[in-house]
Amino acid sequence: MIDELEALYRSRVQEFRRVAAAIAGDRELGCEAVQEAFAKALRRRRSHRGTGTLEAWVWRIVVNAARDARRRRPVVMESRAASSNGHAPTLPLELLTERQREIVFLHYYADLDYASIADALEISPGTVGATLTAARKTLRRAHEEVEA
Amino acid sequence: MNEILDELVPPFGRPGDWDDVLRRAARRRVRPIVLAAVVALAAVAVAPTLAGLLRHDGVGLPAEADRSNVAVVLAPLNRKVILEAAPWKGHDGFCYEVMHLRAGCVPRKTFGAVITKPPLFGWTFDDRVRSGVATMFGGRRVPLTVKHFGGRMDVTLFLVRGRLPIPHLLKSVVLRDANGKVVLRLRRP
Repeated sequence: MIDELEALYRSRVQEFRRVAAAIAGDRELGCEAVQEAFAKALRRRRSHRGTGTLEAWVWRIVVNAARDARRRRPVVMESRAASSNGHAPTLPLELLTERQREIVFLHYYADLDYASIADALEISPGTVGATLTAARKTLRRAHEEVEA
Repeated sequence: MNEILDELVPPFGRPGDWDDVLRRAARRRVRPIVLAAVVALAAVAVAPTLAGLLRHDGVGLPAEADRSNVAVVLAPLNRKVILEAAPWKGHDGFCYEVMHLRAGCVPRKTFGAVITKPPLFGWTFDDRVRSGVATMFGGRRVPLTVKHFGGRMDVTLFLVRGRLPIPHLLKSVVLRDANGKVVLRLRRP
């Protein structure tokens, strides 16, 4: 099991980090969450009973660690004023729910399919599909409003 | 959407550290109640010493900072380094470390931000900013030290001068240009 966890870490650490950083809202906190999550997975490896894949089980721990990191991070006040120096508009992720954001991040940064995302978040694949469709629609509408 | 998500969290350049994971896993876990009791006792008994130690052994500039190009802000009285900033290696942005308490890296996509946990400080990429004032709930106004770092960083950093107010009471930050005109207004969401 330790070897499998090490192989998973070495092959997918960058995807784990990007998803964790996106959820935590901070790159350093995301990296830290991944390190802590894998350490926790190592300590609790015996609790993985083989229902679902090892990767989905680890994703679950990483997502939880990143959520905790987000709760602990400092409040950041950002200006929503119109850009005066030509910066491109960013994706209005604040329009999405926490679950929608997590599904978007797992789908785009980790390239997970619906079944894997469902395993990682302990929801049904149908819910993943519906949530992703709703998230895309919200973002598309927001983008169209900015363009108009 | 893919492009914007790529920009939101750019890929990480540095490789993973499996040995660090092994070290963390091997670390003995202390029961939370025991830990809380020890921390409470230490805080009461040796608060000033502890504060001093934390300040000296705290966080440093992130590993992704370009250490060959570090700029600093010194405290006016004791000339100690209170803020360090450096370009972010491989990215468009900068990394910071403030008072050995807080550190991070920031991409050049935000208009401006304020960290409201101690120590209160923030940044903007708008190069017109020359001065700033923080307003607390209750109306107290606190002047800010504003420093512009050019070159690859091209960022303006600001932090509270003198005694720190309670950051949770921060209501807004107003940043102005050389003529006193408001450039940016940051409010608590």
